Amino acid sequence: MSSDNLAHHQSTINHVLNTDTFSCVWCGLTVSAQAPDGTRRNHCPSCLHSKHVMDQIEGGPSACGSKMSPIAIAVLRTGDWMIIHRCVRCDELTSNPVSTDDNQLILMRMAVRPLAQPPFPLEAFGTL
Amino acid sequence: MPRRTQSGGRKNRHRPQRYKDVLHGNGGHRANDFRCAGCRLDVSLVAPGTAHRNHCPNCLTSLHVDHRIPGDRASTCHGRMEALSLTVRPDGEWMIIHQCQSCGELSANRIAGDDNMLPLMRLALRPLGAGSIASSALLTTL
Ligand SMILES: [Zn+2]
Ligand SMILES: [Zn+2]
Ligand SMILES: [Zn+2]
Ligand SMILES: [Zn+2]
Repeated sequence: MSSDNLAHHQSTINHVLNTDTFSCVWCGLTVSAQAPDGTRRNHCPSCLHSKHVMDQIEGGPSACGSKMSPIAIAVLRTGDWMIIHRCVRCDELTSNPVSTDDNQLILMRMAVRPLAQPPFPLEAFGTL
Repeated sequence: MPRRTQSGGRKNRHRPQRYKDVLHGNGGHRANDFRCAGCRLDVSLVAPGTAHRNHCPNCLTSLHVDHRIPGDRASTCHGRMEALSLTVRPDGEWMIIHQCQSCGELSANRIAGDDNMLPLMRLALRPLGAGSIASSALLTTL
């Protein structure tokens, strides 16, 4: 597909998604499928849960369709945050960008969770 | 329908297991070692606290050898997997999220008792680094 065609294709998708909503599989909230920056949402901004619709290993759609729980924050070299989701049924992992209207409290809780439960005494690090 | 009466007669005749010349036997050269794809350290597969070591205890690097099931060794990728993030299981145990640098696949792996604390702490502190969303959010709430 040429870049012109791709751009047209993208704008068509965005146009369709403007009025599109989905119901969160976890908390039931009805949310717009489009995030504030115009990209397509893949998780609920309120509880950050997602749905297993894409097969990350083989590519393409997944037959699973189960709930995906947010389990970790990953920081890219660019400084951007990603949410790591794990499917509650098949354990597959996905990584997706954080949206500007994602629940900050849940994001922060996930980010500091490893430090709150260290597997070794943090005193070993002195003034880290 | 299988005829069980025939095999029933053999039940008491114990045949000793034939000796198998397997590659992962104890006698093989470096049978229990691997060389880390990240720091080139020679690492023993035996790890304290886990049944099977899947990442380097020094730099936490792993290799993409498993497909869908941990330990199935069915992947043909064999790319280098770098520690991307940490997650905490409900029982409090830390898991490393690895990401393959060749194909992007993610996997979650238990930490071992002798994993280097410094790279683990660096991972844990990454979201709180200078200029991150977390540190600016913390500063505005304090
Ligand atoms: Zn929700
Ligand atoms: Zn699934
Ligand atoms: Zn290493
Ligand atoms: Zn790979």
